[in-house]
Amino acid sequence: MSSRPPSTRRWRQVRSNPKIAMGAAILLFFGLVIAANPLLWATVWKGQERLYDPVIGYDHMIVHPSAPSATHWLGTDSLGRDVTSMFTLAARSSVAVAVAAALASGAVSLVLGSLAAYHRRWVDAVVTHMSDAMVLLPALLAVWIVGVGRPDETFGAVQVGAVFGLVYGLGPATAAVRAAGLVVMAKPFVEAARLVGAGGYWTMSRHLLPHLMPHAAVQAMIGVTGAIVAEAFLNFRSAVGGGIGFGYLVYEGLTWQEMLAGLRDIPWWVLGTGTLGITLLAAAFYLVGIGLREVFDSRAVQQRRVVSRAVG
Amino acid sequence: MRSPPDLRRRPTSDIQGRRVPWVVAFLARRLAWAVITLAIYLTAVFFFVQWWVPIDFSSQFALGGGQADAAARFGLDRPLPERYAEYMGGLLTGDLGQSFSGPPVSEMIADAAPVTILVFAVGAVIAYVVGELLGRVAAWRRGTALGSVVSVLGVVSATVFPPFLVFLLVRYLRQPMVSLRRFLGLPTDSLVIWRDSPFEPSEVLGLVALSLLAAVVAGLLVRAYAHRHRLRWLAFAAFPANLAAAVGALFAAGVGAEAIDLLYRVDYTTSIGSGSPVLVLLGVVLLSFGQVLFMMRVGIEDESDEYYVLSARAKGLTEREVRDVHVARNALIPTLAASFLALPTLLAGMVIVEFELEVDGLSSVFFDAVEVQDIPVMMGVLVVLGLLGIGLRLATDLTIAHLDPRQRRAAV
Repeated sequence: MSSRPPSTRRWRQVRSNPKIAMGAAILLFFGLVIAANPLLWATVWKGQERLYDPVIGYDHMIVHPSAPSATHWLGTDSLGRDVTSMFTLAARSSVAVAVAAALASGAVSLVLGSLAAYHRRWVDAVVTHMSDAMVLLPALLAVWIVGVGRPDETFGAVQVGAVFGLVYGLGPATAAVRAAGLVVMAKPFVEAARLVGAGGYWTMSRHLLPHLMPHAAVQAMIGVTGAIVAEAFLNFRSAVGGGIGFGYLVYEGLTWQEMLAGLRDIPWWVLGTGTLGITLLAAAFYLVGIGLREVFDSRAVQQRRVVSRAVG
Repeated sequence: MRSPPDLRRRPTSDIQGRRVPWVVAFLARRLAWAVITLAIYLTAVFFFVQWWVPIDFSSQFALGGGQADAAARFGLDRPLPERYAEYMGGLLTGDLGQSFSGPPVSEMIADAAPVTILVFAVGAVIAYVVGELLGRVAAWRRGTALGSVVSVLGVVSATVFPPFLVFLLVRYLRQPMVSLRRFLGLPTDSLVIWRDSPFEPSEVLGLVALSLLAAVVAGLLVRAYAHRHRLRWLAFAAFPANLAAAVGALFAAGVGAEAIDLLYRVDYTTSIGSGSPVLVLLGVVLLSFGQVLFMMRVGIEDESDEYYVLSARAKGLTEREVRDVHVARNALIPTLAASFLALPTLLAGMVIVEFELEVDGLSSVFFDAVEVQDIPVMMGVLVVLGLLGIGLRLATDLTIAHLDPRQRRAAV
C-alpha cells in the first residue's frame, strides 16, 4: 500500500492515464484553434474582410472550391469562403456547446444523484423513476423540438448545449451518479460520520459530493460527445440556428459532390475539416470520459455489484 | 451446518398460492414498473412539447381564418391540464390524436413504425454482440497492437459524425454492390427487382431482420456449445457460418435479390443508395458497438483481478477459456445493465442515419412534424420511441435475470 494519501494517488493515476492525456492534448489543440481566430484577424488577415470573412468572404482571383494554398491555408468552399476562417469560428461554437452541456449535465446529475443516494425512500423513488423515464428521451430530439423556429440570438450554441446537457443529465447521468452514490453511502466512513453525529449537509458535502464528482464528470464527458454530434447534425441540416459550425462545413462538402454527381472530386479540405473537427472534439471528451472511468471505476468490485443491482 | 443454496435450480415463486416460474413473477413486477415509467415519460414529454413549441405556430395551419381560429380548431385554447387529461385518456384507448394537417396520427405512424422498430431492435442486438466480442479482445489484448486498433475503432464508432458515415457507406459501397449484382446475375435497377417480385419491401425486411436475429442467436448458442466442448475452430466459425446460413436461407426463400436491394438500393430515378433499411441497420451497428465495447472492457478489467481468475489459471485453463468461460460471463452482467444508459445515444444515431438515408421510417415523420411544428405527430413518434425503449429495457432486464441467479432471486 502506498503511503501517499489516496487523492494524490488518484491524481497521479489521472495524469499518467494515456487516454486522458490524449484527450487533453486534443482539447489543447482546439484551444489553440479558437485562439488563432482573433490572432489571425489581428495579424495576417488584418483589413482583408472581403477575402477572409467566414460568411461573405470571396476571393475573385481563383476558381472555387479551391484546394489549400498559401492565401487560403485550408482552401475555400464552393461559395469562395476561406475554410480556415470558418473552421476556427466553428470550433468556438462547438466548444461552447460542449462546455454548456458538461456543466448542465454535471450539475443536474450531481445534485439529483447525491440527494437520491442520501435521502433514499421517496426522494430516491422519485429520482429513480424520473431518470428511468428520461433515459427514453434522446436529447437530440429534445434539442430539435426546442430549437426549431428560434433565432440564433436566443437559441445559440450555449442554449443547445444547456438543453442537451439538461435532458442527458436528468436521464442517464443521474441514473449512473445515483448508483455510484449508493455505493458511497454503504462505505464504513459514512457510517462513522453518522456515529459521531454528522448531519446531512456535512455528509453530503464532505463525503458524498467529493466521491461523486468523478462519476458525474465521466457521465458529463460521455454526454458531451453526444452533444457535439447532435449540435453538428442540427447545424448540418440548418435545423437550429444558422451559424457556421462543423456540421455546416460537412454539408458544404457533401452538397458540392452531390451537385456534380461525382464529376469533380470531393472537396476533402471542406468535408474533411468539418468531419474531423466533430470527431476529434467529440473523441477528446470521450477519451477523457473513459479514461476517468478507468481511474475511478475499475477495481472497485463492490461498487460495480451495487451498480448492476441498482441500474438493473 | 446450512448447505449453500443451489443456484442452478430454477427458482419458482408463489403468486396467490400457485407456484409459477420466476419469469412470470419477474415480468409481472417489471411490467408494473414499466407502466409507471412510461406514464412519467409521457407526462414529461407532453408538457415539454407543449411548453416549448411556440404557440403562434398554429397560424401556419390556419385555413382562411386567423391564428385564433386555428388554435381553437386544434383545441389549443383550452387549459393545459384539460388537454393533458384528454391526451392521456386517448392514449389508453390507443388514440394518438389527429395531425394538424388532417390525418390521424396513428395512421401516419403505423406506416412508418415497423421499419424503424425492426431495424432498431435487430441493430441494437447485433451492436451489443459485436461490441461485446470486440470488448473482450480489447481488454485481453491490452497494450498489444490488436488491442489498440480495436480501441481506436471503438472511439471512432462512438464519435464519428453519422451523416459522414452515411456518405462513406453510400459512396464506397456502390461499386461493390453493383458488381455483386452483376456477379449474381441480378438486375442492377431496383425498380426491375421490385416490379418482378411477388413480395412487398416490408415483408422482405421482416424476413431479413428475423434471419439476422436468428443468425446472431444461433451464433451465440453454437459458441457456448463450442466452448463447453473445447472446439476452438467451431467457436471461431460460429458467427460467420450462421450469417452465411441466414443469407443462404434468404436466397432459398427466393428473396435474395430483394434482400440485397434492401441493403443497397440502386435506383436510377432517385439518389443512389437512399431508401435502404438494411443499410440503416449496418449504420446503427457501426455507430453503437463502440459504446458497448468500452463498457465490456471496463467490466472485464474489473473482473480480471478476482480470485476466481487466479484459481482458473492455476487449474491450468487456457487464457481463452479463462477469458470467455470465466471473466467474460461475469463482466457481461454489469455491461448489459450499463448498456441501457447508452440507449438515447443509440436512438439518436439511428434517427440520424435513417433520416439521411431517406428511409420512410419514424425519423422522417418526426422531422417533417418538427419542421412544421405539428405537435400531435411529434408526440406520436415520441410515444412509439418510448415504448421501444421500455421494451428493450425489459428484454435487457430479463436477460440479466437469466444470467444472474442473484437477480432472479431478488426479483421473485
